Amino acid sequence: MLELKNISKRFENRFLADKLSLNVSRGEIVALLGASGAGKSTLLKIVAGLEEADAGQVFFDQQDISRLPPEKRHFALMFQDFALFPHLNVLDNVAFGLIEQKLSKKTAREQALVMLARFNLATHAADNVTTLSGGEQQRVALARALITQPKVLLLDEPFSALDAELRQSLRDEFKQHITNMGIATILVTHDELEARAMANRCVRLSAGQLTAVL
Amino acid sequence: MKRSSRVALLLLPSAAVVLMLLLPMLRLVAEGWGESFYESFFTVWQDDFLKWRLLWSFTQAVLTCVLAFIFGLPVAWVLARFEFPGRQLILRLLMLPFVVPTLVAALGVLALWGPQGVFSQALGIDLQDTPWLLLYGNLFFNLCLVIRAGVDALGQVNAHCVAASRSLGATPWRAFWRVEWPVIAPWLTSSLCLVFLYCFSGFGLALVLGGQRYATVEVEIYTLVAYELKLAQASSLALWMLVLTGLVALAYAYVEKRLSVATRSQPIALRFPKTALHWLAVFGSLAVLFFFCAAPILAIVWRALLADSQAWAALLDVETLQALWNTLRFSAAALFIATVLGVAHALGTQGSVAWRAAAYLPLIASPVTVAFGLLLLYPDWTASLALLIAAYAVLAYPFVAKAMATGLGSLPDNLNQVARTLGASPARTFWRVTLPLLSPALRRGMAFAAATALGEFAVTLFLSRPEWTTLTTLIYQRLGKPGAVNLDTAMLLACLLMLLSALVFVVIDSPQKTSDSKTIG
Repeated sequence: MLELKNISKRFENRFLADKLSLNVSRGEIVALLGASGAGKSTLLKIVAGLEEADAGQVFFDQQDISRLPPEKRHFALMFQDFALFPHLNVLDNVAFGLIEQKLSKKTAREQALVMLARFNLATHAADNVTTLSGGEQQRVALARALITQPKVLLLDEPFSALDAELRQSLRDEFKQHITNMGIATILVTHDELEARAMANRCVRLSAGQLTAVL
Repeated sequence: MKRSSRVALLLLPSAAVVLMLLLPMLRLVAEGWGESFYESFFTVWQDDFLKWRLLWSFTQAVLTCVLAFIFGLPVAWVLARFEFPGRQLILRLLMLPFVVPTLVAALGVLALWGPQGVFSQALGIDLQDTPWLLLYGNLFFNLCLVIRAGVDALGQVNAHCVAASRSLGATPWRAFWRVEWPVIAPWLTSSLCLVFLYCFSGFGLALVLGGQRYATVEVEIYTLVAYELKLAQASSLALWMLVLTGLVALAYAYVEKRLSVATRSQPIALRFPKTALHWLAVFGSLAVLFFFCAAPILAIVWRALLADSQAWAALLDVETLQALWNTLRFSAAALFIATVLGVAHALGTQGSVAWRAAAYLPLIASPVTVAFGLLLLYPDWTASLALLIAAYAVLAYPFVAKAMATGLGSLPDNLNQVARTLGASPARTFWRVTLPLLSPALRRGMAFAAATALGEFAVTLFLSRPEWTTLTTLIYQRLGKPGAVNLDTAMLLACLLMLLSALVFVVIDSPQKTSDSKTIG
């Protein structure tokens, strides 16, 4: 289980997080709502290990991982602009994390191809990622995040760059994949409808504090 | 990247700049320091000849800035606003003067305007012993710099702002002055600062084209040190050079800092020339570019093709082959060191504008001053190949640092962050994500660094031993000898050096073909 304990973070004399705590269970999707600049993405980066909190700890399965570098946490992060590697094709984007887990390139690519098939993207394996549509890019990003079987999935406004119709269909697809794999997930969004559609629980970040959204 | 890692990366380039640039300059200042500040600083002004050298150096640099602005801005505007066949090629060719070694450019000017020059014979004009030869040479190098800056700046003008001003009643001319000019002015100021610095501290062009009367302070420092052994006077002149270049460099750094703020804009769409006036502007611009930038290069090729058979035979001399070998091995060694220094500098200075600007120090420092300072600071090393190559590397590394820093600035943070969350360590992230994406920028920087090393002249003249003759020093030796054969040989060697620079540039800078490449250049 993911546990944030008394996390504090200041930015320009303003508390983005002020001794906030949050628990996310395995298989649970928690939506993190809040206004722009409230500190949602920063909190996600603290969980991922990409930013350091001023105070507080991050635990996973009762182990303090606050000082663990991001590559050793086995958490996957997805950005709103997908952050696909433009110098790699679709297959190598998905295989990236497996190669970092010391799998041979051949095995990593084979597994990536299987994953792409699950997302109906196998025919695009050799394509340049920049030639894909927004929805396809989004699914490649999720496939890349899920293939390493992360302990925690961190989604930073993953649907904000997509049009309304595509957003709706991808939400359902994403929820199904995440639920099937039973991963603890934090979904950052400013869209309350999206939060309610995807998450088991919603919390709002405001003035550095988390409050439950009913 | 952690602060400690950045500091560690910066140690190497910082040490190189301090040991090879700042300390030699300080040593030079100490050499010229007399009994008092007044004596040290104002000795130059009591000597009419030295005073003239200093004033002329300043004047020719200012005149070049003015001429580059007058000719450069309209050409930049035409290239930035009109789409016409060959436009992309011209934009690429604007890089050419940066690849051409100084001495080759000087020979190009002589091939046009010197004795038996193509233009001087055709037009019956003799420009020998006039300031125009040097100004023309300066424009060959610097006009392209101003035009490129102008084209980039005009690309920053927001089409929506221009449209808004027009809808508010501004004529095209008023819209230019009130909307476009405020955007491009800082860019032009920045490029003109660089033009001033290059011309003021220029050596090769002034040595060959300035003659007795219109040579610059840099040439005078070289003469005082190499031929007259008047070190104190040379130091005093160098001190003035340091102060004046330092002031302009500060102005340049200030403008660059303002320009470092990234802006998003809707660029103005290119249009095809329709009216006779449009076409006149296009052909006028092409004529300016041909006259100042293409003609000297073509003239060298022309003169080389017409060279005497004895001159052609000289290409296979042992002396020439040795110079070619020296040029290649010195440049390769310098390129390797410059690449390491440049990459370390760029990675270590991410996010710091001031430190990034520090990479320009070797670019704006006068090579003659640096070489003179090195001679004084490391007297036991003056005949050392290591010192010569280290000096080459320090003068060349800013190109790598600048290109890499620009590439890093364009690289979205989240690509590296995603790689880290997918299990890549910082080193693996650099190897698998950062480096492949920045390889075009790195190759571009390395190409410029290689061109700088291949064409290096001033430092070689000071620090080289006879057996280390490079192509540039061999060209200079041939120029100093009487006879048409020697001039022809110099032209042929210049052609060879130009070809070598172009070849190196093409080999390093040409895009690598990959099935899935999209990179940041």
